[in-house]
Amino acid sequence: MRRLGKLVLLLCLIMIINFIFTGCNKKEAVLNIYNWGDYIDPTVIKDFEDEYNIKVNYSTFATNEDMYVKLKSGAGNYDVTFPSDYMIERMIKEDMLYTLNKNNIPNLKNIDEKFINLSFDPENQYSVPYFWGTVGILYNKKVVKEKVDSWNILWDEKYKNEIVMLDSQRDSIGVALKKLGYSMNSRDINELRKAKEILIKQKPLVYTYVIDEVKDLMIAGEANLGVVWSGDATAAIRENENLEYVIPKEGSNIWFDNMVIPKSSKNKKEAELFIDFMCRPDITARNTDYVGYSTPNKEAIEKLPDDIKNSQVAYPNDEDLERCEIFKDPSDFITKYDIIWTEIKAEY
Amino acid sequence: MKLKWTSYPYIVWMAIFIIVPLLLILFFSVTSEDVFRLGEFQFTLDNFKRFMSPIYLKVLGRSITLALQSTAICFLLGYPMAMIISKAEVKKRNAMILLFVVPMWMNFLLRTYAWLTLLGKNGLINYIIKSLGFEPLNLIYNNKAILLGMVYNFLPFMVLPIYSVLIKIDNSLIEAAEDLGASKLEVFTRIILPLSIPGVVSGFTMVFMPAVSTFVISSLLGGGKYMLIGNLVEQQFLWSGDWNFGSAISIVMMIFILISMAIMAKFDEDKKGGSLW
Amino acid sequence: MEKNIIIDLKNVYKKYDDLEVLKNINFYIRKNEFLTLLGPSGCGKTTTLRIIGGFEQPTSGEIIFEGKNIINIPPYERPINTVFQKYALFPHMNVFDNIAFGLKIKKLSKKTIEEKVKNILKMVNLSGFENRSIESLSGGQQQRIAIARALVNEPKVLLLDEPLGALDLKLRKEMQMELKNIQKSLGITFIYVTHDQEEALTMSDTIVVMDSGEIQQIGTPVDIYNEPKNAFVAKFIGESNIIEGIIHEDFVVEFENIMFDCVDRGFEKKEEIDVVIRPEDLIIENFEEAKLKGKVISVTFKGVHYEMLIESDNFLWKVHSTTMAPVNSLVGLSVLPENIHVMKKVR
Repeated sequence: MRRLGKLVLLLCLIMIINFIFTGCNKKEAVLNIYNWGDYIDPTVIKDFEDEYNIKVNYSTFATNEDMYVKLKSGAGNYDVTFPSDYMIERMIKEDMLYTLNKNNIPNLKNIDEKFINLSFDPENQYSVPYFWGTVGILYNKKVVKEKVDSWNILWDEKYKNEIVMLDSQRDSIGVALKKLGYSMNSRDINELRKAKEILIKQKPLVYTYVIDEVKDLMIAGEANLGVVWSGDATAAIRENENLEYVIPKEGSNIWFDNMVIPKSSKNKKEAELFIDFMCRPDITARNTDYVGYSTPNKEAIEKLPDDIKNSQVAYPNDEDLERCEIFKDPSDFITKYDIIWTEIKAEY
Repeated sequence: MKLKWTSYPYIVWMAIFIIVPLLLILFFSVTSEDVFRLGEFQFTLDNFKRFMSPIYLKVLGRSITLALQSTAICFLLGYPMAMIISKAEVKKRNAMILLFVVPMWMNFLLRTYAWLTLLGKNGLINYIIKSLGFEPLNLIYNNKAILLGMVYNFLPFMVLPIYSVLIKIDNSLIEAAEDLGASKLEVFTRIILPLSIPGVVSGFTMVFMPAVSTFVISSLLGGGKYMLIGNLVEQQFLWSGDWNFGSAISIVMMIFILISMAIMAKFDEDKKGGSLW
Repeated sequence: MEKNIIIDLKNVYKKYDDLEVLKNINFYIRKNEFLTLLGPSGCGKTTTLRIIGGFEQPTSGEIIFEGKNIINIPPYERPINTVFQKYALFPHMNVFDNIAFGLKIKKLSKKTIEEKVKNILKMVNLSGFENRSIESLSGGQQQRIAIARALVNEPKVLLLDEPLGALDLKLRKEMQMELKNIQKSLGITFIYVTHDQEEALTMSDTIVVMDSGEIQQIGTPVDIYNEPKNAFVAKFIGESNIIEGIIHEDFVVEFENIMFDCVDRGFEKKEEIDVVIRPEDLIIENFEEAKLKGKVISVTFKGVHYEMLIESDNFLWKVHSTTMAPVNSLVGLSVLPENIHVMKKVR
């Protein structure tokens, strides 16, 4: 017992010393940041902490749905999080977000106007754009020698077993809808059924349905045609110069990840400080360079190296963008999507 | 039920991590409101009714078929393997069992991923095939790859119970049968096989259950092209957010597994199988 | 060559890795006899039995069965059946199926099988037990079913590997009698293995005494008991007093510095030998008149006789007698010449 007693005393001593030293570095406030995995330059966070003496607790999530569930269940008081467009739409509908005090975010002016006032958050009352991108076709020009400009190529028999589709309901059904000339946000069950039919027809040609692995498969040459997000395309092209990215002429998806302040936050002012910090041109440029996705910050774009700045993959011209739609929240229609997707997946 | 005080921590553990979640799933399956608005729920069997539609039943049927196929393959491969190991001398035996068990020390997901590098278009197997001058084979992202993954992962669960029953068979029984005129084949069919049934039953159960509920193997090795019941549940919880429907499917699966366990138990009435459950 | 020989073991030798288990085993078994392999644990008797049965192969040597070498014939083709030490009854079958097993293998008709099983159950006094499960049987019943299962196949030879070991004394003695009777009435050759010398003496026509993989002596129970060939057999069979002595000339032997008349001859003059005298052959005499004198160290009542340990000048004699001499009393011992057995010393 004596031994145990000494151990307990030692532990207490260690804890007390710990407290004293942390007391020395005691920050004024703590921010809980909840972001996508691998979506920020860690040095940027450190700079923020040092400049404002605010400690940042950084945690990550893998999907919008994960984040939504976490927030809804009330676990963790997150101060800033980065949902995607349709999810923001839902969170606003469900009154989960604070309205932003724009006076505290002067750097908002750096954001390109074309990315402001979008359908999911009119007037940007609740969110500030962080990264954005498109969905398109990544292909290996050594194997696919013809011109690629349409979703139709993914239905071409001669590329059987070379095609990779996204294992994501909305993205794949969206591609099919666009190919048929419909909206990606269609709520017409007949249009969805047609999309289902062509996706079932396509199935024998598809090598695999994956989410993150598209990039790896195409770099390795396991597949030569794939549906990817623009950020993955940039990274893939960097690894394999035979790859090219195109937004098909029928149109595609444009997506946004914006910063928001959930109502669970207890440090609204500090959160707004963080959002403003993340809109500084130099910070954004550094962050964009690290993460590799497209920034909405026009001042920051100027600071990027030329090959990125001028990349059609990362920063396509406006005509391409016009053909793209933002996802809307399907709300209760999601059940129909679920059934359609199940029917596609279960067909074999 | 008289319990020692030392068993209370386990009861508490069981209650928190097993019984409560089960009750929650049951609750969700028979209600229809958003799981976060627990205050306003209403009881309904709609979730179960929805499951009864052709598409979902098709998925269930497929999952069961695939599970039965992989169980059968595991049996056809596993029984001879168990026999070979049980007949080897003791030192070799332990080494062979170790060969089976060591892969299980590694994470299940990683083991399944490893197959991707073996089976891919430019994977190791095709590399060898191509260097021999043949056309590469389509080994991955199809039904066969899923079966392979299932058999690979679940084979030890078939081999070990059968093996443990086989080594318990007294050698003198085999000698007695031979003495009475039975040839080697007759010894197998009349003595060894009947006595090994408890192990076989236990092996079947331990393979069929995880096989029917798997979703990782079908996702990874099937290229997402084969939706099984496990994938369906995953889809509800991770994407559609329809936890009620997902819970209902889970309950259906659980009932199904309970029924198959009850059938298996009839074969092993003396509980000689040494099964895990 | 005796026409009556059914099995002849020639130069059977068995080695496990470096261990010689059987060295130069040679003996024959006559038709319809009850032959017992007797010896302590590890002497090789069970190995010999298993070689005859076909469950083990000798390293070298021959097993001649009715004129043919059956070394390479597997057990299921030999007209021999075995009763195993632990019975080896099939637990997943009932009594009927166990007994009928060999008959079913031979593909006999259902009617024939039913009849044969019925008869054999009668012979082992277990009529009506057809549908019983093996677990529900007592040790003695299981034993008899094991015997029935073997006998129903009407083998030419029955091998029994210490079948009575697990039974209590009374049951064992009953079964010994029953087995002997069955053997006599069926006229089958029995080869029996045991370490219990009393059992061997009771049941056998011929006993083969074995030790360390070698045959020590072969003979009838009476021969072996009365004329043990060496110290080992003498010690193993019955109880003995073994004392060193010198045989001066034929019929005269000296031990304890006393000359005794005996009935053994054929030794060299003044050869050093071992003398064996059974405890029951020593007679308690009057102290004054006896040649051999001693003091009683201990007395134990054994029911049938008293067992006394009597210390003489050089030796501690074990004596079985109905005459009781109390502890510490001085007594004399005498023995009849024909009960003094002289044996060559074991080198």
